[in-house]
Amino acid sequence: MPIDRRRLVALALCVSVASLLTVRTADAHAVLVESSPTLNGQVSGPDVPVKLRFNVRIDASRSRLALLRSDGSTQSLELGKLTSADTLTSQVKGLAPGEYRLRWQVLASDGHLTRGEIPFTVTNS
Amino acid sequence: MARLLQIFGFLSVLLRGATLTSQSLTIGGIVFLVFVAGPTGKPADQLQQLALRWIRRAAVALAVAQTAVLVSSSLLLMQSAAMSLAEVSGANFVVAGALGIVSSLTIVALAHTQRSRGYADMLLPAAFVLVSSVMTSHAMSRLEYRLPLAAFTALHQAATAVWLGGLPYLLLGLKHAPNTDFARALSARFSRLALVSVAVLATAGLVLSFSYVGSVSAAYGTSYGVMVITKIVLFGLLLLLGAMNYQIVRGSSSRLLDSLRRFGEAEIGIGITVVLLAASLTSLPPAIDLAADRVHATEIYGRMSPRVPRLTSPKHEELPEDVYAAQKTSTDSGSLSTASYVPGQAGTRPNTVAEKAWSEYNHHWAGLIVLAIGLLALIAQVARVSWTRNWPLIFLALSAFLILRSDPETWPLGPIGFWVSMTDPEVLLHRILALLVVGLAIFEWRVQTGRVASTGSQLVFPILVAVASALLLTHSHSLGNIKEEVLAELSHAPLAVLGVTAAWSRWLELRLPAENRARFAMAGIWPVCFLLIGVVLLNYREM
Repeated sequence: MPIDRRRLVALALCVSVASLLTVRTADAHAVLVESSPTLNGQVSGPDVPVKLRFNVRIDASRSRLALLRSDGSTQSLELGKLTSADTLTSQVKGLAPGEYRLRWQVLASDGHLTRGEIPFTVTNS
Repeated sequence: MARLLQIFGFLSVLLRGATLTSQSLTIGGIVFLVFVAGPTGKPADQLQQLALRWIRRAAVALAVAQTAVLVSSSLLLMQSAAMSLAEVSGANFVVAGALGIVSSLTIVALAHTQRSRGYADMLLPAAFVLVSSVMTSHAMSRLEYRLPLAAFTALHQAATAVWLGGLPYLLLGLKHAPNTDFARALSARFSRLALVSVAVLATAGLVLSFSYVGSVSAAYGTSYGVMVITKIVLFGLLLLLGAMNYQIVRGSSSRLLDSLRRFGEAEIGIGITVVLLAASLTSLPPAIDLAADRVHATEIYGRMSPRVPRLTSPKHEELPEDVYAAQKTSTDSGSLSTASYVPGQAGTRPNTVAEKAWSEYNHHWAGLIVLAIGLLALIAQVARVSWTRNWPLIFLALSAFLILRSDPETWPLGPIGFWVSMTDPEVLLHRILALLVVGLAIFEWRVQTGRVASTGSQLVFPILVAVASALLLTHSHSLGNIKEEVLAELSHAPLAVLGVTAAWSRWLELRLPAENRARFAMAGIWPVCFLLIGVVLLNYREM
């Protein structure tokens, strides 16, 4: 049963286009596996060391950390010296007791960005 | 902005699939050209010209896909992360992409010139294409055993390209073979190469699976693990077809070469599904990284143990008003971000009881419809009862059901308009699926009732079933490895495998030469697959 080339190409195109639509709607990305402060955890202030460890190597020079205060203001955090290729570190100083959110944004080696927030509470030292 | 990012994210994944497919065709074509096409002589020269033409096309497609990936990913980062162009341009994925584009264009240039001394020089840019792909793989982002894992990834991808990417070139060669001897020699050379490739592919795949999955509990308890198992099952199907081909190559009948081409077509089809599945795997974090929220065997048993199907639906009023608005609000307020999320990815708000019941009702009625299709198709095939040949019309009921029920927040049941809802990739996919089902119903009804006899029309059914089966492998996966996602995956993966088997067994029933006895077996396999799909759907649960 021969089929002509145009029809074969049309069929192949149909399969390819529709098959391409099947690919998942997410891509490889870094997953947070460990953090300090922990999620919804309590830390004593006023100085809080920050450490986030991911499941993969991350592009630290293109990653960001920020602190969100309860009044809505945001403070960018300076990243500490890289100790491990999967870890971001920083140091927040002078935090009054209260609720905060640590906002992170990291770039994985395949160019995919992931973000997240870690709510935490600072208590009196 | 969130919706724009969602579409961007979706596009980038489409392009990644295109990149992997064209990469396999480019590398597979070059290896075929150098090692299989034949040393000298007029037929070999003609085949080399043909192969060069298709390598050029594949390499152009690869360069275009990689450029599009690079541009869309860079724009996504600049828009969503406020990075400058200078900042983005030094990132690893940009370097890898640039290497891939330059290598593909080099291949295009080299494939333009006919040379008497052979084409071995094209292997170098082909190797660089592979390097660019490995640079953005899971292997390169691991902290431990980075280089060995990268080497195994390269071997795995190279072997896939040589085998599955080389197959279309073999079929081209067989189609244009001037005589049986040439075709037989060509097949024998490719078979030897394919055997080695399969061994390398399986070994590297085993090492990578062990490294990224790590345990039996992760294999069935995470989305990544379930996808790896699905890939292994499809690989088994490919091996079965490959073994049949190997027997044909060793046989003596000249007509058997026609069978070889037909089995090769099915191998390519399943091969594309496997390559896309591999592309999908890169979208999931390795199972070994996700220790929390794994599904346990007792939970799977609890969910999968047979129960009476849900044939009454919850009321539409019981559903949340607008899922997308709710997700956007949650994202904006930060309540979705306790772990992590990808820009543009839909939120992970847990489904309500009414939503779960709605979905179960959908799956169970769809199961009954597919069960009826399988039963009537089996009767039509085996007992030749004439009225049962109208079974494809039942697909129209399935399509209407899908349009009405799959996205209750959109037209016709919900407040979101038809065209607005199409900007959501998930809704768009459902609509495409419904359209595919209508096409399937009409074409196959005309074929079954003898209204058309052309091969093109006959092949619409298996092609659309193959596409729909691949669509079934598509779900939005949550980063946090939500158990519900894994449990849904556990029932959708068998559906996809059964669909792929049904599609390509029907293809082979239609395409194999009359004297090949495997045709009779194929004629019985696909209706049984439909019956089983119906049974699996009837037992689908979300709670």
